[in-house]
Amino acid sequence: MTMSRPRLAAGIACVLIVFALGYLRDPPWAGRITSGMRGWEEEPPGTRFRWTTGRASFFVPSDATAMTLPLRAVFPGPNGRPVMVSVSVDDRWLATIELPHPDEWVPAVLPLPRQPPSRRFRRVDLHVNRTAVGVFILGVMTGEIALTR
Amino acid sequence: MSLSKRAIDWSVRWFVALAGALGLAGYLWLFTRPSADEPIRSDGYNYYLYAPSWIIYHDVTLEALARDWNGGSYPGFSGILRWPGTNRWMNRLPIGVAVLMLPFVIAADLLTRWSNLPRDGFSLYYQHAAALAGLAYFLAGLALLRRTLSRYFTTGVTLWTLVAITWGTNLFHYAVYDGTFSHAFSFALVCAVIELTDLWWTRPRVWHAAALGVAAALIVLTRHTNALFLLLIPFWGLASWSRIGSRISELWERRGAVLTMAVVTAVLIAPQFAYYKWVTNQWIVNPYALHGLGFTFTAPHLFGTLFSTERGLFFWSPVLLLSVAGMFVARGWTHDLLIPSAAVLVLNAWVIASWMEWQYGASYGHRAFVDSLGLMAVFLAAFFAWTKEHPRIVPAVAIATTLAVALSVIQMLQYWHRVWPVRDITWDQYRSLFLRFHP
Repeated sequence: MTMSRPRLAAGIACVLIVFALGYLRDPPWAGRITSGMRGWEEEPPGTRFRWTTGRASFFVPSDATAMTLPLRAVFPGPNGRPVMVSVSVDDRWLATIELPHPDEWVPAVLPLPRQPPSRRFRRVDLHVNRTAVGVFILGVMTGEIALTR
Repeated sequence: MSLSKRAIDWSVRWFVALAGALGLAGYLWLFTRPSADEPIRSDGYNYYLYAPSWIIYHDVTLEALARDWNGGSYPGFSGILRWPGTNRWMNRLPIGVAVLMLPFVIAADLLTRWSNLPRDGFSLYYQHAAALAGLAYFLAGLALLRRTLSRYFTTGVTLWTLVAITWGTNLFHYAVYDGTFSHAFSFALVCAVIELTDLWWTRPRVWHAAALGVAAALIVLTRHTNALFLLLIPFWGLASWSRIGSRISELWERRGAVLTMAVVTAVLIAPQFAYYKWVTNQWIVNPYALHGLGFTFTAPHLFGTLFSTERGLFFWSPVLLLSVAGMFVARGWTHDLLIPSAAVLVLNAWVIASWMEWQYGASYGHRAFVDSLGLMAVFLAAFFAWTKEHPRIVPAVAIATTLAVALSVIQMLQYWHRVWPVRDITWDQYRSLFLRFHP
């Protein structure tokens, strides 16, 4: 018995979709994905940073046991209070970091919860409790992240 | 069958697939550049915004997304402002593009959960789903246009028309580079209205009226001023104004279908008016009122929109001059379409030229006319069909069309390379940058 061309095409499409979904379950390039962050800038020379918006996401390798996340508010919080940055990992709250002095970098050291890794990377989400509104929305500056494995 | 005839038939048959492959290639090149912008940007942000608000934030007020992303506000470039009196968010652009994007955004959302990417409405999959939706609707529009043209023209004429309208104008650019803007969507919808209207008048089926109602509603929801194109439906094929009386009788005979069309359209556009009412306490409103923008119908910028170096439709897409010529030499079916089409195209040009910001911001060519290219293509085909009947001018028309298409493609690639200023291009700037790939 021979298979008709439409059925053959549908069969090939199904196989391709299954393979694609298998690949996309844990994409090897996820570590390079960010969301809610502007491009890298450098000020002063040697200090690289990226602006977040009110929320931002990035990925860290799942074998990391801790990360040092440098944050700087630049603009003060509501009514002059400290800016608060909530950090969650894979949708679970991890810590809330307080940035009391707008011009000061705060290197927050965050232990990452140990879990059997089902993926290569863990997603880290930041939520900032205030934003500076202009042509673009600015949250806080994030510096280069250091990982402990 | 000769080899050239077979090649032409093959090209028409596979035209949409070839345009899709070239579109994807262009898209990949554009959005994998180190300096690439995100696909959801500028007006595309406003058009898209509703989709994540509905799907992810389960919110029709636009409050939740503003809170989560922006600390309760929207970035300045979006022009989304709180309406005085109600303090509710007014998005100056309507919901139609987001409605059309929904299948793509839902797929992106499911895939985002599957890959554990940020379910924020703007991460990787959402960006590309929104932009590729524009490319997909452009291809659907081309398929519909090919279907219409193939009924009345030879495959050769159909092929020349499809090539000229795709690459001789800024249509391809708005499908690939600015796929999150409304224009590729509107192009597809106008092509759908042309095809469905023609079928409804020539070989009506029950579903045509309902389908026309859906297409009409989506046209209005995508760009309100494009409601003008709905004039084509009642006046389609009206070869002479003297037939207006019999046309009214024909519409009365089809009153059931007309009512179906009207009801479907009214029901589907209701959410947009409900949104306006909720935001402003008025059913009909100028969403740009807070920006001080509106129409100046008594002082349209006709020269600027049609001929200027800044934005002129015919300056940047000279192949469309052949479409105008096609109106004068139209025969048969296209001649019968002349009155409603010319009326709609002139009114459309007048409306576009009357907008206070007649350059329509940063764009390649005049983007507001992209929506009408499906209708202009019919008369482009009429011109090519007339040319075919006059073999002596075929070489001249072939050379002129090829040069116009080549120029348009080169200028589009210059825009992609950021050679052209995004607006206010002067003749001196145009001359100094002509055929140059480095600013």
